[in-house]
This record gives sequence, structure tokens and C-alpha cells, in this order.
Amino acid sequence: MELGALVVTQGSHGTQQIDNSTLPVLGKTVLDRWVERVQGLGINLLSVVDSDLLGSDRLHTMIDWAKKGVDQILLILVGSYSDVDLLDVVRFHHEGQHRITRVFDPLGPLGISLLDRQIILNSNFETHKLGPAGPSTRYDFLGYSVRLSSPSAYRKLVEDALEGRCDVKPNGLEAERNVWIHPAAHVNPSVRLEGSCYVGAYTRLNPGVVLRGRSSVEHNCDIDIGTTLDHASVLPNTYLAPGLCVRNSIIDGTRLENLDRGISVDLGPLGLSGRKKPISIPSSTPSVIRNRSLGETSFCVQVPIVPDAVDRASAQVEANGQ
Amino acid sequence: MISNGMVVVKQLPDGRARRKRREFLAEIKQLARESYRPQLIVDLPSRKLTSEVLDLLLSCAEQMEKSEGRVSVAGASPEAAVILELTQLTSVVNVFPSVSEAVGIDASRFGSEDLNDGRHLAA
Repeated sequence: MELGALVVTQGSHGTQQIDNSTLPVLGKTVLDRWVERVQGLGINLLSVVDSDLLGSDRLHTMIDWAKKGVDQILLILVGSYSDVDLLDVVRFHHEGQHRITRVFDPLGPLGISLLDRQIILNSNFETHKLGPAGPSTRYDFLGYSVRLSSPSAYRKLVEDALEGRCDVKPNGLEAERNVWIHPAAHVNPSVRLEGSCYVGAYTRLNPGVVLRGRSSVEHNCDIDIGTTLDHASVLPNTYLAPGLCVRNSIIDGTRLENLDRGISVDLGPLGLSGRKKPISIPSSTPSVIRNRSLGETSFCVQVPIVPDAVDRASAQVEANGQ
Repeated sequence: MISNGMVVVKQLPDGRARRKRREFLAEIKQLARESYRPQLIVDLPSRKLTSEVLDLLLSCAEQMEKSEGRVSVAGASPEAAVILELTQLTSVVNVFPSVSEAVGIDASRFGSEDLNDGRHLAA
């Protein structure tokens, strides 16, 4: 029984809106985490596409796979994160001999579906609708899930992950209880890490910096002297000036999203933050699957599993019994 | 003569006009010299916060501190309020939604007298 998986990102819909699924959450994006879980099922036929792509194009891909003999396709619309056990969804689908299985939580559909080959082959290409399969079957999931529809939802996922309330594992080493630091981060000895927090790869925390309130700093950031982060997240490649106090906010380069007031402020003209030159971080997700083109040859790829530096470091720590 | 508890409402000059900023600061220095515990209320409607404006606010707070006075900011936009919190200026200036609210609190605590071109308030 061959399975394929199509993972569809939120896309920008032609606006300035940020696609939360492509923002790192404690070192890895939600998209990367979904891809890893799909890989964990042993699915090698995997494609990641942007939702900006026309529905007909996505359907075309699935039909193409079905014609080539793929028996079932796992379709994941990355608008949410959930701890759902994909293997259990596949098992549920098989045991019930369902044609379409859709995963729901108490708030509604989670954007995860498992489709049978025959349904896809019978689909209506003109209307972008799947074939006449009758009603789909619900798979009810009562575990952890969060819809990534707002900056607040992003912060909730970060906080829940740091507190161990979901299966998102920080991409780093646990220096103390719930304090996660990537081996490639530089943390000055005078930095105060109060409670759960995360420091990403190649990030520099300068003297006197304070992290509290389940704050996170993603990779390649530079937090200058004496700045305090309280219930805040700093996205990759961001510089923060000295002596600031960032509360209940997300900062991405020069843009600050204040969650208390629900407003966005440009800090660039004030020189309070800046965008650093990006660096490439080794990832377990090969870049080829991020190809958004519809070229048939580049659309479907075999995905090798490449452990990254942290996985190796973690393995080393475990091997040393630390 | 030293005035006690004077309340003065002023608008900040354009952050880009250096001469006006100097003149403004000179007035504040005079206020600080000639009064005890003065209350300076800076009206900020639609004024975009630039680094020069932040610098000026800090200088005002410094001058007021010399005569045990206090600076309040009124009418700041939500964006400006966020920046004041971010830069921790809220530890040296009070922030109010409007001048009337700033005055309502200030006037109950302080008296007032006239001062040149500022708006002056009775206690």
C-alpha cells in the first residue's frame, strides 16, 4: 500500500500577512514539524506546495499520483498545529475502509484528510471537487491543537511547547528544566534566564540580557546589552537595541507586534531593532521539497532524512548519559 | 520667585527642527529653575515618535527631576505608547490617554501658575 502526502502551506494570499506555518517555533517551523511526522510514517512521496497555488493544480498533482499507483494521499493544510497521531489516522482509515477521513477537533476541521485513490481519480477537475464518495468520515481528535491564525496563537504554541503541554520539542539542549539552548548559541554568563525559555542557533545574548515569561529567541538574533524579554518572541535574524523591555510582543526584524494592544509598530526609523543578514541553518527538511513550481519533475521528490547538528548533539548527550 | 507645583501643558516641537527643540528645552530648563515640583504635560496627538522626540522627552524628564517635578505624556497613540514602554521611558514619564485625564490627576496634586506660551491650568 503506497501513501503519498501533500502538505499545503497557508501562503500569503498576495498580502503582507505572515504565514505562521513558516515561522520557526523553538527552532523548527510548524511546516518542518509536519514534514518530519509524515516522514516518520515512512512516506517518501511528499510534496509541499503553497496554498496560493490554484486548487486545480493541487488536484492535478493528486490525480497524477493516483494514476501512477499511489493508493492513498494524506492531505495536510498547514493552518494549525496538532499532536494528532497520523499513524492512528491511517489505521482508523484502513480499519473502517473509509474513502475519505477528515480529522476534527472540538473546534472543527484541522485540515488533515486521508483520501483514497479512487476518490481522487473520480474527482471533478472542472470544479476542483473530489469524486462522488458520499460523506467523509470524521476522526475526532481530543488532544492538543492550536490554529495558527494570529500572532497570539503563535505565542500560545511557543508557551505551550516550552511548558511541555504539547509534543513540540525545542531544537536545542535542555540546560535546566524547560530552559532550552541551541549548542551554537552564545549566551553571556551574566544573562538571566528566568523560567522556561528558548535560545536558538547562532543567537547572541549580550551581558545583562534577561529572558522571562516563556520567551523565545530564534536563530541568528543579537539581543544587545541589558534588554529584557518578557512573554516575548524574537523571530530569526533580528537585532534588538540595548536597554529595551519587550513585553507581550513578537518582533520580526524592525516590526513589533504588540499582543496587548493588537497593533504593529515599525521600530526601524527609531533604530530600536533591525534585520540581520540571514544565515543558512542546517535543516532536516531538504530545500527541494519547498519548490513551489508546478514543474512535474520538481514537484514530487524522494525525501532523505538528514539528522541535523542538534539531533547529533542530543544523541551525544544521551550517549554520555547526561 | 519660585512657584510651587506649577502645571504646564505643552506640545512637543517637530522632531526634525533642531532649533525649535533647543528653544523648547531652554523653556523647560527655565521652568525647572523657577519652580518647585513643576508638572509638565506633553501633548502628543498625532506626533510620530522619532529618536529626536524620545531624546527630548528624556531631557525634559532630566530637567524636571532637578526640581522634583514630573513629566506626563498625554494623547499618545497606541504605537507611541508601545514605544514608550519598550524604551522604558514609562519609568520616568507618566502616560495618560488625554490631557484632561493627565490634568485631572495632576491638578489634584499640584497648584498652577502662568508660564509664557504654555497652556496653564488652575488647580
